[in-house]
Formats: sequence, structure tokens, C-alpha cells
Amino acid sequence: MNWLRENLWRHVVGIFMVLFAIFPLYLVVISSINPSGSLQVTSFIPREFSWKNYQMLFNDPTIPYLTWMKNSLVISVSVALLSVVISASSAFAFSRLKFRGKKSGIQLLLLIQMFPAILALSAVYVIMERVAVFAPHFGLGTQPGLLLVYLGGAMGVNIWLLKGFVDSIPAELDEAAKIDGASAMQTYWLIFVPLAAPVLAVVSLLSFIGTFNEFILARLFLVDMGSRTIAVGLQGFIGGQYSQNWGPFAAGSLIASVPIVIIFLSLQKYIISGLTAGSVKG
Amino acid sequence: MVAFFRGKLAFAFKVLFLAGISALLVLLLISALGQKQYAIGIFLILVVIGLNFTYLTKVSIPLKFFYPGLIFLLGFVVAPIVFTLTMSTYNYKTGNYIGKTEAITQIQKLAIEPDASGSTFDIIVGKYNGTESAILASDTVKKQYFISTYDKRIDLNVTDIKVNEYQVAREAYNFKALADAELAGADKLLSKSRFFYTSEFFIALEGFDVGALYRQKLNFLAIQDAFQNIATGAIYKDNGKGNYANVDAPGEILEPGWRAPVWFENYSKLFLDPKVREPLIRVFIWTVVFAVSSVLTSFAFGLLLALALNKPIRGRRIYRSILILPYAMPSVMSILIWGGMFNTEFGAINQLLGTDIAWFQSVTFARVAVIVVNLWLGFPYFYLVTSGALQAIPSELNEAAAIDGASPRQIFSKITLPLLLRILSPLLIASFAFNFNNFNLIYLLTGGGPKSTLDGDIAGATDILISYTYQIAFGSFTQDLGLASAISVVIFLLVASISLYGIRKSKVLESFV
Repeated sequence: MNWLRENLWRHVVGIFMVLFAIFPLYLVVISSINPSGSLQVTSFIPREFSWKNYQMLFNDPTIPYLTWMKNSLVISVSVALLSVVISASSAFAFSRLKFRGKKSGIQLLLLIQMFPAILALSAVYVIMERVAVFAPHFGLGTQPGLLLVYLGGAMGVNIWLLKGFVDSIPAELDEAAKIDGASAMQTYWLIFVPLAAPVLAVVSLLSFIGTFNEFILARLFLVDMGSRTIAVGLQGFIGGQYSQNWGPFAAGSLIASVPIVIIFLSLQKYIISGLTAGSVKG
Repeated sequence: MVAFFRGKLAFAFKVLFLAGISALLVLLLISALGQKQYAIGIFLILVVIGLNFTYLTKVSIPLKFFYPGLIFLLGFVVAPIVFTLTMSTYNYKTGNYIGKTEAITQIQKLAIEPDASGSTFDIIVGKYNGTESAILASDTVKKQYFISTYDKRIDLNVTDIKVNEYQVAREAYNFKALADAELAGADKLLSKSRFFYTSEFFIALEGFDVGALYRQKLNFLAIQDAFQNIATGAIYKDNGKGNYANVDAPGEILEPGWRAPVWFENYSKLFLDPKVREPLIRVFIWTVVFAVSSVLTSFAFGLLLALALNKPIRGRRIYRSILILPYAMPSVMSILIWGGMFNTEFGAINQLLGTDIAWFQSVTFARVAVIVVNLWLGFPYFYLVTSGALQAIPSELNEAAAIDGASPRQIFSKITLPLLLRILSPLLIASFAFNFNNFNLIYLLTGGGPKSTLDGDIAGATDILISYTYQIAFGSFTQDLGLASAISVVIFLLVASISLYGIRKSKVLESFV
């Protein structure tokens, strides 16, 4: 009786919220194996099972699903690697070097980072439109152009996140290196990078998730069917035509989500500490 | 390994690497300057100079670490911000999208009118005297034949030419028709060509076989920087707002215009022009309502869960790993999935509730749907951070209160909740700022709708400021980048001041975590 009074409400709340959380996901799973491929759920308990929707995704030439997936992976992996390579040295300098204007530099970075990329969307668009005039491979409508814009956008957040993590790594080792006569560059490459490798990996994976999930810039930049990312591709595919394309869409969004969910769950600890540091996942 | 950083080899590597990047940048900047993109060209010049200066001298060690990141920040974050500010003072919109010189060319090209009698000629495109582009024109009614080049007309007698059965001239002395293949290649050039008829009229091609008589309606007076209507004599002058306007009737302007500085006009429009102000206020109110209710609902549900699962009850790990799933899913996918679930005819929500609500066609239901979906997306985050914060509250506090005879309810409302709010307020504020600009949710779920497009009003019932701005900038009706930029700047000021307030508060956070 006592147990009931103490714990029953906890389970009631827990089960209710679990149902709420899982309902859309459950629905996608059963839709993806439903051979009729329709949006209409005839029964919430699947009676038939088929891989038809998945096969359609990979075999139907009108849905370049694999190309979208490849595009997303190429762009996200490039951003993940390059942005960390570029921002790590800045974070190191902010965290470990002494120089004039450090404090105002950090404040400026914070202020810049607060300007959401989406507010400058039209400016980015016009600038890249002009870049396309003289360098067609880096301008509007190209993946390298999008990559450059992503790298720029990732810089503020990444430097900020990395600085936070780096501050928590004890500085004794690089101070010792300094006493032994190592230059700042040597300290960075030989002491700091190996030491911070796990942190760099985490931030890099976070950039990966963020880029994979980015929609509006990709939508604005990538017009060709064959150059789209998975988010833009699937949106265009389902766009308003829920009733016709639901089955393959469900299958496609499931496949695209699984790796992200796995990365996310394995990074839970870091993501939450990163989030409490003041940045919110987009 | 250490030696690597000191040796001559390392220096050679460095120089080679710098030379490679510099060469690439120089190539880019040359083509940028060649295409008259001076701002970008100058930026690239500074980048190259800075690059070599930073890594070949010892002026500043920290700069060596900052340089790559700094360039990306300047190029793709700071420059767009500055550009947004600049654009917000321009009339950068449909009809004023191009530069002034381009606009003048366009006006001249468009300002032609057909001859009053609508004369046309049968023509053959070819070369005169072997090289000069020309047409061989025939007016079969008046029996008039001539060759016309860009700057002269050579009248021909019937005896000089060979005609076909329709009395159209096929061949003439010194004239050689273009072969079909050549015609196709010259298509673009020919469509722009003007062949001489009289000093007033010229012939423009309408296809490869027909030419029509046109005359220039407006003359550009380069010295006065004005256009003159040849027939009426009316003068159109630069009105300082990116258009040539009739001196006697300022409302009458020539299309297209060009982008010109209008200073604070875009900003004053936000407050003074009722056509801009009214939808904007409506959208702003909904933006605040949406952001506040999203944060409150997500926080309330997150808090309830965190309290419920704050004890090691059975199955807590399972609850936790399922509850985090909505947050782990890529949000673009989740939003699209929810979009399907809210479908009127086949959607799972209507089926579950046994209703047939047209969710996205009704203002109220669309707004409810948006908030429900955002709750689903947001509550796990608050569950996680609230759980964390609950652990951070020292248990001694609760125990001491319990000993003093406080009921659990009192402990919660007097101790736990105030402390939680203090710890979490920066996160609540950050979440508000995030939802204030939660473009993806609105764009992907409702597209801002439902909206009535009757009077050209593009603001929908669920449009928030940022999605409304997007429509102003990239919509299908007219695109007004100037106005959109002005709104962006205002949003930034709002959100930045809220966030700064949050950061001030986060100093409180540091003492706890």
C-alpha cells in the first residue's frame, strides 16, 4: 500500500510520457514495413510485413535516396573534420595563451555567435550569388559553397564549446612543456592535441549531427535533385504529398535517423554538459 | 618528432604549403576582380597578405593560432552580418535588384514600341559584303526590298534580287544567307540585334523569318543622367531612390530600377507603413506566444518527469532511454513525420482521436499542433537538464525542511522549485531565444499557414518572425531583401538582449555546477 502511494504516480507519469515520446516513432516503424505504403493506419498492430518500401528506396530511379545519403555524409563528415581542425587552434589560444585583447575577443565571439545564421540568410545568399559569378565551383548551388558557409557558421559555436572543454583540462602538462623550452606551436601539436583528442572527437561528432540535421541553407543552396542532402531530399519527396509517398518516406527517414540516434545516445553525457554550457541543439 | 618543428625540412614544408594556398587565393581574387566583384576581391587580397604575414613573421604567436578560424568567421559570419546591415538601408527588392548601369541598359532595351501601322517584313538573315551581319528584307505588299545592316539600309530594285513564288526576296548581290546551323548558333545575338531602317525606326527579328518595325521610345541623356521620352519630350530623372521618375509626375517611374540607399526607410516602414506594420505586429505577438508556451510546456513536462523519475524506481533506465529518443532523432525527420500524422484524411492523430479535424487549415488547431510538436521535440531536453539540476540541490536542504515539519508539497514549492528556477533560468532563456527563431519547425510543419492570400498578405497564422522574414526575402510574390534585412536586424537586437540577460544570469549557474 505504501509502495503504491509512493511510486504509482511515478510510473503513471513515466508510462504516459513514454507513450507520447514513442508514438510517432512506432508509427514510422510500422508504416515502413506496411506493404500498402499508405499514410492511413488500418491497424496500430502490424498484420503484414514487407521490405517493399525499403526496396523502393534503393531501386526506384526517381528517388535518388543513396545519392542524398552520400551527399549528406560527405558534407557532414567534411564539416565535422575541417571545422574541428580549424577551430581547435583558436580554442587553444583562447584557453591557454596570454595576449592583449583576449577578454574582448571572447566577448566579441560570444556576441557574433548570438547572431543566428538564419538571420543573415539573405546576405549569405547574395554573397554566394556573387561568388558564383567568378568561381562557379564555390558559389551558390554547389556543395563546396555550402561547405564553406557551414564551416564559417560552425566556427563560433565550436570555438566556444571547445574552449569550455579545454578549460577543464589541467594546464600543468603544457606549463611543464613550456618550462622545458617548447614553443607554443610544439605545445599545441605535441601536448595539447593528443590530450584533447577525445574532446575534439566529441565536438566533431556534434558538428556532424548539427550539419546532418541542417535544413534551410541546404535547401537554399542545393537545387539539383542529385546534389541535395537527405533532409532536403526527403522534404521535397514528401512535400505536401503525404498520402502517396508515406511508406518509402517512413523507411527513408528511419534509415537516416538511426546513425544519428546512435551517435547521440553514445554522446549523451557530453551533449548535456555542452547544452548546460548554454548552447541548444538546432 | 620535436625536431620536425625546428628543421629546415619543416620550414620548406611550411613555405610550400603557404605558397600553394596563396596561389589558389590569388587565382580566385584575379577572377573576382576580373568579374568586377571588387568587395570580394579586396577581401581575398587582404586574406593573402595576412596569411603570409602571419606565418612568415613572428609578429604575433596567438594570431598563428587564430588565423584560419578568424578568416572563416570574417568571411562567412561577420561579412554576412555587415552585409545584412548594409542591405537593410537599401531598397534591395524585386524591381530594384540590379546595379544602376545594368538598369539603364535594361530600360533602353525595354523602351521600344512597335510602329503604329505594325509593319512587318519577310527576312533572311545573312552577311553583307562577306562579313557584316545583315538581313535581306521584303515587303511583299509594297514590293519594297532592301538589305539592312546595324547602321545602314541599302534599297534594292526588283531587278537586283531573285524572288520566290510569294514575292519574297531569296537572293541578292553581295548578300549571303546564313546556313541553318549558323543561325542556331547566332540565336542569342540575333534576338538582341537592331537593324537600321530609318534614323527613328529599326527592325527587330521575330524569329528567323520575320522582322518588325520598332522605334526607341526613350533616349538616355548621359550628361544629365536622365531619360527623355522622344515623342512627348518628358524628362525622367534619377529620383535618388533607385528609379528614374518623371520630373512632372514623380509617381511615374521607369522599370526596372536599381538598388540604391534609402537609409532608414525600411526601418521606418516597420513602424509607419500599415501594410507592413499590421502583419508584423500580428506575427510578433504569435512569435512571443509560441516561444513562451513552447518553453513553458516543455519545461513543465520535463520537470514533472524529472520529479517522477528522481527516485530509483523499477525500470527507470528503460524510461530514460526511451524518453530521450525524441531529442536524439534528427528534428527535420521528426517534424516531417508529425506533418504526416496531422494529415486530415489519413493522419494517425485524427484516427486515434476519432475526429476529422483539418489541423493545418484552422488557425487554432494549427497553432495547437505546432505547440504539441514542439513539446514533443523539447520536453526530453528539459527532463535531462532538470534531472541534472535536481541532483545538484543538496539533499540536506530537503531533509532539514522535513525535520522542521514541512510537507512534501511545501518543500517542493518553497525550496525545490525556486532553486531549480534559479539554476535553470539561463537555459529557459536560451530555449526561448532558440524557439523565437525556430524556423525549421514552422517551415516544415505548417509552412506558416493557414494563410489567406486574398490581399497579397503573406503572413500566415503560424508564421513566426523568422519564417515571415524568409517569405519576404525569398517568397514567390515579390522579394524584398532590404525589408527582410531590416527585420532581421530588429530580431537580432531583441534576441541578443534577451540572451545577454541570460548570460549574466548564467554566472549564477557556474557556482552550482
